[in-house]
Amino acid sequence: MTIIEERPERQEHPVERRLAEIVPGPEPHGFVKYATSTDHKQIGVNYMVTSFLFFLFAGALAMVIRTQLIVPNNHVVSLDVYNQIFTIHGTVMIFVFLGPFAFGLANYIVPLQIGAPDMAFPRFNAFSYWLYLGGGLTLVSGFLTSSGAANFGWFGYAPLTEAVHSPGAGADLWIIGVGLTGFSGIFTAINVVTTIFMLRAPGMVMFRMPIFCWNQMVTMFLVLLAFPVLTSALALIYLDRHFHTHFFDPGDGGQPILWQHLFWFFGHPEVYILVLPYFGVVTEVFATMSRKPVFGYKGMVGATLSIGGLSMGVWAHHMYTTGAVLLPFFAALSLLIAVPTGIKFFNWIGTMWRGTLVLNTAMLFCIGFLFTFLLGGLTGVMLAEPPLDFQLHDTYFIVAHLHYVMFGGSAFAVFAGIFYWFPKFTGRMLHEGWGKVFFVLMFVGFNLTFFPQHDLGLRGMQRRIGIYPAHQGWDFLNMLSSIGSYIMGLSIITLLWNFWRTLRKGERAGDNPWDGGTLEWACASPPSHHNFESLPPIRSERPVWDANHPEDLTKVGH
Amino acid sequence: MKLEWRVTLGAAFFLLAAFALYWFTSYEDAGSVLLFFGGTAYILLFAFILLQYKRRHGTPRAEDRPDANQSDGAGEVAFFPSNSIWPVSLGIGFVFVAVGLVYGAWYFAIGFILLLGAVIGFNVEADSRTESDSHPEQHSHTE
Repeated sequence: MTIIEERPERQEHPVERRLAEIVPGPEPHGFVKYATSTDHKQIGVNYMVTSFLFFLFAGALAMVIRTQLIVPNNHVVSLDVYNQIFTIHGTVMIFVFLGPFAFGLANYIVPLQIGAPDMAFPRFNAFSYWLYLGGGLTLVSGFLTSSGAANFGWFGYAPLTEAVHSPGAGADLWIIGVGLTGFSGIFTAINVVTTIFMLRAPGMVMFRMPIFCWNQMVTMFLVLLAFPVLTSALALIYLDRHFHTHFFDPGDGGQPILWQHLFWFFGHPEVYILVLPYFGVVTEVFATMSRKPVFGYKGMVGATLSIGGLSMGVWAHHMYTTGAVLLPFFAALSLLIAVPTGIKFFNWIGTMWRGTLVLNTAMLFCIGFLFTFLLGGLTGVMLAEPPLDFQLHDTYFIVAHLHYVMFGGSAFAVFAGIFYWFPKFTGRMLHEGWGKVFFVLMFVGFNLTFFPQHDLGLRGMQRRIGIYPAHQGWDFLNMLSSIGSYIMGLSIITLLWNFWRTLRKGERAGDNPWDGGTLEWACASPPSHHNFESLPPIRSERPVWDANHPEDLTKVGH
Repeated sequence: MKLEWRVTLGAAFFLLAAFALYWFTSYEDAGSVLLFFGGTAYILLFAFILLQYKRRHGTPRAEDRPDANQSDGAGEVAFFPSNSIWPVSLGIGFVFVAVGLVYGAWYFAIGFILLLGAVIGFNVEADSRTESDSHPEQHSHTE
């Protein structure tokens, strides 16, 4: 047992794994460190901070959307600007916030959890961060052009994206920006998969990796399948716009539906790319805050693998109303995904069952996640059935569904992850009281915003409309939804305040403030340059717990 | 490495089975082609990992043995540079070239110069490492 609280105790054990370094000189600080570091922790923080700033930007765009829709016949922004705003809102949230935040977590946490000194290709890793930042900035820079940003919705359906219908640089910047983030994602995926396959610590067999690492691995498998399709589809639309090819132009024998196939072949795995890492986050939090190992570990791994597999075969359930896809195939596979997801829910509840629950902010967000993500999943099962989808396609019901999945699922887990790992990132604890205020405001605001949108959809309000007439039965629900969004905005301000006060005078966290069991809690907070001074012996999926609680090893059933 | 090649083989099998099912029920081109090539891509990955596995002649790596101790992983793990200016130069160069696709020649010119410099820098940096680090007793842990 080499993991004991006092540092001097540790120094007795020599560093067992020698590392080669190119520049043994002093560590740079500040901007130079940000720009040149190839340390996986610095890059992970870069990813997370950058994507969080983009999240604030896209959230502000969402506030504009809800302000426009608060009363009928409202004219806060022009309809063209409204189209640009919802396009960039969706694109930034999907491509520049949720995905890259998960990549940031992967960068920071995966090497720590498997006991590796760094990612497999550190410089390549830094390179993919710069591509991501460049892509994100390119994407939003469309607002600075004279013709405005892209305005065709985040899935850019052809032929609307053709040069005739969307002239101007904004659309091109959208294509280039999304393409760059796509490249960045592919490079990160290669890096994470190689790290997990090649850099595990001795004794860390695959079936002892934390569920978070398994989920990241499956996510990166999906990235490798999905993102190249997206980047090549973007190349085709670029050729259509500038070199007069006709891949998607129906006037000259092109097929707009081909774009839909290519886009959704990327787009549906993308949904799971955005949610599987966060399943991993909540699994870690549930296990740690319940003081128990993950219930049904192998079932969890199997569920993750089968969600990953099935998600490759469901893309056309976004295309039911085109009338050009095989409904039974896609309906059957889409419904099947509910099974492994159900296993996950069962195992999360099983992990909490008879545990000693610690109801701090991270845990509250995970419990909130269980409810909101379940609702999003259930409406997803409904929408997988073609008869219902024909009714509800392109209404606010879809908007409600996708926000319950993407925000109530992924973003809630983002917040849980922030509260859970913030002590590891910075060495300081976020304030629990402010955290709980944040959770309550966020939970109430979120449900108030998006729950009425189910009903709005059933009452026939289409998505993407910028102005709606009065007396359709939509007024009150839209008002509720907008008020809810302002509450969410307020809750984000409390979170920012919490960051500010914690970084200035937050309470110091020890190396292992939650008494966690996985390897990231065996190193200092924040971890030193190559992470571990020494590693505990790895004999189960929570080696640090074994080291700190030797009495548990004698119990039956461990 | 057994589990690694099994997972990739499983992914390949699943995608090829989905391809077969999808093609013979729908005869739709785009999705079938994508599923087929997804499956073949995973066969390549599987074959590579299997090759690495066979090369070890049945001796498992320390990370594949449930009873391995930390000392079993002793030795040099891999090469990890701490700071480098080249990733950011390469990234900026790449982004400039990409934006050049929208705004034309000047961005291309700046981007290509940065890219060229960064590629050279990247390689020189890697070379300098092999010269300074060639200890005679060096034995690599990961292949």
